[in-house]
Amino acid sequence: MIFLRRQLPLLITFVAGVVFAAQYYVPHPTSELMLTEVTKWLQIISGFALVLGVTSLFQIHAVKIRRKEPGWAYSLILYSGILGTIAAGFSYSFTAGQWVNGKETINGIVTAFGWIYSDMMVPLQGTMFAILAFFIASAAYRSFRARSREAALLLIAAIIVMMGRVPLGEMLLPVSGDVTQWILNVLNAAVRRAILIGISLGAVALSLKIIFGMERAYLGGGKD
Amino acid sequence: MTFAERMLHIDRRIIFLVIGVCTLLPLLYPVGLAIKVSPEVRGVHDYIESLPEGSVFLLSMDFDPASKPELQPQAVALLRHAFKKNLRVIGMTLWVTGTGLADLVVSQAAQEMGKVNGKDYVFLGWSPGVGSLIITMGQDLYKAFPSDYNNQPTRELAVLKGIQTLRDVNYVVSLAAGTAGIESWYVYGKDKYKFELGGGCTGVIAPGLYPLLRSGQINGLIGGLRGAAEYETLIGQKGRAVAGMDAQSATHVAIIMLVILCNVFYLLIRTSRGQSGQPRG
Repeated sequence: MIFLRRQLPLLITFVAGVVFAAQYYVPHPTSELMLTEVTKWLQIISGFALVLGVTSLFQIHAVKIRRKEPGWAYSLILYSGILGTIAAGFSYSFTAGQWVNGKETINGIVTAFGWIYSDMMVPLQGTMFAILAFFIASAAYRSFRARSREAALLLIAAIIVMMGRVPLGEMLLPVSGDVTQWILNVLNAAVRRAILIGISLGAVALSLKIIFGMERAYLGGGKD
Repeated sequence: MTFAERMLHIDRRIIFLVIGVCTLLPLLYPVGLAIKVSPEVRGVHDYIESLPEGSVFLLSMDFDPASKPELQPQAVALLRHAFKKNLRVIGMTLWVTGTGLADLVVSQAAQEMGKVNGKDYVFLGWSPGVGSLIITMGQDLYKAFPSDYNNQPTRELAVLKGIQTLRDVNYVVSLAAGTAGIESWYVYGKDKYKFELGGGCTGVIAPGLYPLLRSGQINGLIGGLRGAAEYETLIGQKGRAVAGMDAQSATHVAIIMLVILCNVFYLLIRTSRGQSGQPRG
């Protein structure tokens, strides 16, 4: 049992990790064919992961509804939203004369699924992010204070970039456009590059640890 | 409570009202301020401009409705440019929640420019697996997408004639609202399959992509609504992005004024506390 839970997954990880790390440098047609087949399998597994995610979501909220925990009404709304959208996606469109099959439009005719997408999801998601602009302005007013030299420097840079990124700002302060470009292309690029390199080296180290079995968190809990 | 302290604790609904007015008034009464084009946006435009007729242009609309205000104008401008140049356009998305939106954008732009589905353009839709999808497209496009979004077999489409893998695509532009996006297209796509890559993104993530731009990994970057407005200016077809710049200008200046005011009041409080011997907060 321990072999199936520990040794076998570690062995698969090691073999797959080494083989596909080497595959990147081997341009032979057999190597390319292997890559094509395996990435197709990965796509299929990704599709199943979606099903897993939705099932997990159902389970969590079913418990909330059953136990009538605080906020269980929102779980009920979530359930009805998910089930309603799935039903609309699998329904038959009498106007179009065919099954919807998850399509928003059929021959230019908007389906029920398409209506849910364009008249509910699109405006709701847009609203959520539009509201952010107001809260950002309020938060900036309350917290963007020059409490120290570094904070003052950050404040000045932010004001210059905000001016330089809009036509009105460039009109009021003509130099802000060029200074903004310099800040983004030189200062910002340098620092972001350093962060990216650090993150990438960390990812390489973690990947090597996973391939060689030193990092086993992905195997889940339980006794060794 | 002094005036400065009262102003620092002002009801945030007043701030919301200021921002609301600054957004609404310029939309109702546009001014039409001049837009200066940046080298980053010009990079994408000039590359598409240099492509001969019949070249293959893949536009990956990797965003959902939340980023529609910034990225849809970019998509529309790019598609108008590509169709004007008679390029063969392949549309797709890496975000399942953006599929309907992407299909709508491509269809409307194509209809406007008189292009035919299957002959001048195709919308492939979405398929699961970001990195694995890009790699599969790089190995065999028809294995990744055996049919397009309208269930037409992709092998039979005239627009995809002569295209077997991503190596046969002349230019890929990813319009990204986050992960998966431009970095995924570079890591899993351009690095191995050597096509030219450009990017468009929301204003928030644009600074993070400058290392890719500076190192030549992407040849241009359209950042936010400003980038879309610059692109519309370049192609000579002003749309929603240019219309939105006045509102964005006013809002930016309003936020700057608020921040300056906040710091003035803060400094006044600090000074008065310093003079009265109280601890500075």
